Amino acid sequence: MKKAIIAALLVLFCIASAFAASSAESKGTETVTVWHSAQGAAKDVFEDIARTFNETVGKEKGICIDAIYQGKANDVLTKVNAAMGTGTLADIAMMDATAATDMNHSSALVTIDRLGIDTSDILDCGISSYTSENGLLALPFNASALLYYYNKTIYDAAGVSAPASLDEMAAIAPKTASDCRVAFAGVPATFELSTFIGAQNGLSYMVDNRNGHDGGATKTLFDTEGTYKAFLEKWKKLFDTGVCSAISSGVTAEFTSGRAAAMLASSSNLASVISAVDGRFEVGVARVPVVNGKATGGTVISGGALFAFKDSEAVKTVLEYLVSPEVQAVWSEGTGYVPVSKKAYETESYKAFLEKNPLYKVASDALLDSNPGLANVWVPSAYSIYYSFQANIVDVLNGKDIDTAVKEMAATVNDAIAAYKAQNN
Amino acid sequence: MRTKIRRKNELKAWLFLLPALLLAALFWWYPALTGFVQSFLTVNRNGDVTGFAGLSNFRLLFSDKAFLNSLRVTLTFVLLFVPANTFLTLLAASMTRRKNRFSSIPEYVFFAPVAVSLSAYSLLMRELFRGSASVINRLTGLSGGWITTPAGAMATLVILGIFLDFGLDYILLMSAFRSIDRNVVEAARMDGAGGWRLFFHIELPMIKETVMVTVFLALKDALLISAPIIILTEGGPFRSTETVMFYYYIEAFKSGNRAVQNALSALVLTLAAIAMVIYTNTRRKRPWDR
Repeated sequence: MKKAIIAALLVLFCIASAFAASSAESKGTETVTVWHSAQGAAKDVFEDIARTFNETVGKEKGICIDAIYQGKANDVLTKVNAAMGTGTLADIAMMDATAATDMNHSSALVTIDRLGIDTSDILDCGISSYTSENGLLALPFNASALLYYYNKTIYDAAGVSAPASLDEMAAIAPKTASDCRVAFAGVPATFELSTFIGAQNGLSYMVDNRNGHDGGATKTLFDTEGTYKAFLEKWKKLFDTGVCSAISSGVTAEFTSGRAAAMLASSSNLASVISAVDGRFEVGVARVPVVNGKATGGTVISGGALFAFKDSEAVKTVLEYLVSPEVQAVWSEGTGYVPVSKKAYETESYKAFLEKNPLYKVASDALLDSNPGLANVWVPSAYSIYYSFQANIVDVLNGKDIDTAVKEMAATVNDAIAAYKAQNN
Repeated sequence: MRTKIRRKNELKAWLFLLPALLLAALFWWYPALTGFVQSFLTVNRNGDVTGFAGLSNFRLLFSDKAFLNSLRVTLTFVLLFVPANTFLTLLAASMTRRKNRFSSIPEYVFFAPVAVSLSAYSLLMRELFRGSASVINRLTGLSGGWITTPAGAMATLVILGIFLDFGLDYILLMSAFRSIDRNVVEAARMDGAGGWRLFFHIELPMIKETVMVTVFLALKDALLISAPIIILTEGGPFRSTETVMFYYYIEAFKSGNRAVQNALSALVLTLAAIAMVIYTNTRRKRPWDR
């Protein structure tokens, strides 16, 4: 019996100690945990930046960055939401626009205004893209823009250049396709649509209140303003050529293997795409083809930002370091992200880099030329809506009536908004 | 004196059970019951209860087209996976049921999938069936789009599901075949039964119980499948592989939709409870259990 009690107590003790395990912080240096989503080439660059900080500024001020990869931007959000209120939340998390709605209403978030960081050097479109009625939610860090990637070797051989509009894209598609190659691969979702729709009529929003930034969206605009319909009509025309492929996964692999002559992807993929192609053909990038002649708004700034969850000097120091001109130049050169620091564009190293790698300039030029009012979309259930858009577009390509499709899509988004309001008001 | 010993033994049993009970209470009963109660309440994204919802959470769930789609997808997967898995594992087990000098080779081969983790398999499958330029197409000369097309993605998922369940089901069935009373088989042989007749009329009926176990295991796995989908297809393309559990994952963990989360978990809890009651009742009625 005694033995049994001892054994039971031992088991209990083990369980209790497992739960009570706490991270013992070393005295003297303050650790700032950063959950990030940088993958591939970007992961190495980000970890290098963290290491450099720890060896220089960090050493001086007694701060150490602990950079932890947590999966894709959306996975980081899942983990942040799960860790909220448990004491295991990171000090800083790298997330994208899909996190904005949750973070805007989160009591754990420390806004950039509250940290007192000077943001005068940050790109205007970057600031406005993460500003809500509660102030600047996050500090833009890994900013990017949607780009049109094309196989320049094939385009040159066919005697065509990158299309400026969806009409042109449909016109050249048959020339760039062959038996074993499609002219274009991909299905747009919320991210691509925020540019296709946002650029229309100089500046358009998919949902009201500045795409949900000012107090949250209350209804859709892409249906009532006819912007989604305008896009769908052109997109259908493009796919009616019969030489495009509506696939939603593995698009980059199709492009880099030469089986798709063009794709839409974030500028942040540039370094990875070039290294995957490995010189088998020449990669070209251009601005996103516009829906029509009145779509003059340009490109939405996308990518991610750093959300802070701790109000401390150390967190402030780390954030300021990460968006400083020099670090932003290094980050951009290694990845294809657009520098968020205005001064980064004037650093000698970045100028020389662009001189050598003109492809990296397309995204930043596109952003600087765009209407700064353009904003990414903040809606609840963002992940689910993303899939709904893709399914909706493919339905249209398979023959669904465009007006019906627009109505259904608007209902999906409006239902999500209503459900969120009902739960959170 | 006897009661004292019994009480002592009982105490001992409870002590040994305590850690398991604590864990079950903490990680199963508490969240399950909270979810059930909260399915009738309005809960905001921070988890605070803000009002009484009645049945509106359930109405929201059943009015969501994505949920209805996920029911359809789950049903399709069950109908494809369970028969295919049962047939293939039974086929493999019956072909290797006789023990001989070489029988350890197929045993190793068929049991090997158990040694590989679920996520490793999913990642491997994702690479093998990546699309029209996939390894599988190059090896076989096929030209399907696999995980880039709705039908291909479902097929890939069924193949993955079979790989994940194969090893365990095979071992269960094979040991059932081998534990059949030899006397019965010999008697049947002497009566002139051989080949097909012996298999279908003697051996298969004798391992019926184990076959049912593998069918129920497959059914459970099919109804609850989510992790392989998260890795392999992310529910795509175009929601064609979005099962109920994947839908739950998206709504609960990605969207923070507490209404749908609680309503769905309450629904699953109720269905599971009903299934358990029916199962225990039918078991009790079985003559051989008396």
